[in-house]
Amino acid sequence: MEDNGVLIVGGGLAAQRCAEGLRRRGYEGPVRMVCAEPEPPYDRPPLSKELLAGEAGEEDLAYRPAWWYEEKEVELLLGTRAVALDPAARRLRVDSGAELPYEKLLIATGGAARELPFLAGYENVHSLRTLADARVLRRELTAGAHLAIVGAGFIGQEVAATARALGAEVTMIEALETPLAPILGEQVGAWFAELHRTEGVRVLASARLEGARGAGRVEELILASGERLACDAVVVGVGTMPATGWLRGSGLEEDGVRTDTAGRTRVPGVFAAGDASVPFDPRFGIHARTEHWDAAAWQGAAVATAMLGDYPGTPPLPSFWSDQYGLRIQYVGHAHRADGVLLEGDPATRDFQAVFSRGGVPVAGLAVGRPRAIPALRKQIERGHGPLDEVNDRKDEAA
Amino acid sequence: MSYVPKIDPNECSAHGDCVDVAPQIFELGDTAVVIGSGPDDLILEAAEACPAVAISVVDSETGETIFP
Repeated sequence: MEDNGVLIVGGGLAAQRCAEGLRRRGYEGPVRMVCAEPEPPYDRPPLSKELLAGEAGEEDLAYRPAWWYEEKEVELLLGTRAVALDPAARRLRVDSGAELPYEKLLIATGGAARELPFLAGYENVHSLRTLADARVLRRELTAGAHLAIVGAGFIGQEVAATARALGAEVTMIEALETPLAPILGEQVGAWFAELHRTEGVRVLASARLEGARGAGRVEELILASGERLACDAVVVGVGTMPATGWLRGSGLEEDGVRTDTAGRTRVPGVFAAGDASVPFDPRFGIHARTEHWDAAAWQGAAVATAMLGDYPGTPPLPSFWSDQYGLRIQYVGHAHRADGVLLEGDPATRDFQAVFSRGGVPVAGLAVGRPRAIPALRKQIERGHGPLDEVNDRKDEAA
Repeated sequence: MSYVPKIDPNECSAHGDCVDVAPQIFELGDTAVVIGSGPDDLILEAAEACPAVAISVVDSETGETIFP
């Protein structure tokens, strides 16, 4: 792959890690990154936390300073969107009309926030996915402002915590009876709801939105219960979808690109990583999207390794972290598979861990305010997975 | 100054939080690497900041594991 080099479609974490991995492993051919956003690649987790709180500036989020891209000869095509892929001709068309040839391509266009049709078009309705989103939302989060958050997942919860710290009044609207219950179970989900209630957030569970009222800006949200909720701004955090619609007609999946553990797609020379991908999970023998920071970081680096002809190994267990109200929350494993959960410590003082098990074997762990617990949890879970890894690694290599 | 940090390269996913806390002690490569030393409390703060819990801290005088 000497002439046309590597073309990376996307400017997020997976994209950045691929570029870094290629250069670190000595690849000397052209590396270009097609970034839809106007900013050079930056880290997204602070968007709902430090940046939104005003504790970090935009410049703090950049993965690398401008000189890094010059020194490493990684060309950034900023403000450029991919519009079509022709894998037979190995060409990518972008929104300027230009056709970019490549030898190897990484699809790392990430995810797009799910939208609620009846909230479309209002100027005070925000999702939080990009720096541009965060900039606009920050202006809305003033002391005393009333913020409605639709969806009590981790994004919604982190925004709630930050908004409370900034003095906003917060109402969280959740369709489920217990937030996060499908992943973390009723008991742990209820703990999260209580955490927010204690911090002054109004948490409306089993709540369904029916519509909104207002001219240009939402003034009231209308709930199925009949309640009309006055608000100054609305944040929608109801999940993301792979931003892969531009692959239409390419022969690759438009709803998230399936890959093996090394990020290889069904098309030669084309790889995918991060939220745009649906990688093979060797622990369970299924393709699954994780959407975690750690997964995107690993997958981007793995693709660099695989592009250069090496095998990147077995992906680590899924893991994520969240910071809320000065508390660190850490998670590892696959809790959705659990049939039991055991809490150790004291949930009331925000110092506990939850061990999720299936048939008595630990499959996931969550630690609240106790980072020291994570390495032991990780080991327990990996022991439980042991033999599966070997079997599926072999299968994957053979494929 | 008796604490010694060690990074588990299998767990580190190069978040960079340790580098933010203590740039004189940690540097970001493929994973974070230890490049220097510093005050014990700074080393411990960096270890605690790591979302992946990839940094362990041992007291070189007593051999005791301080973190995790």
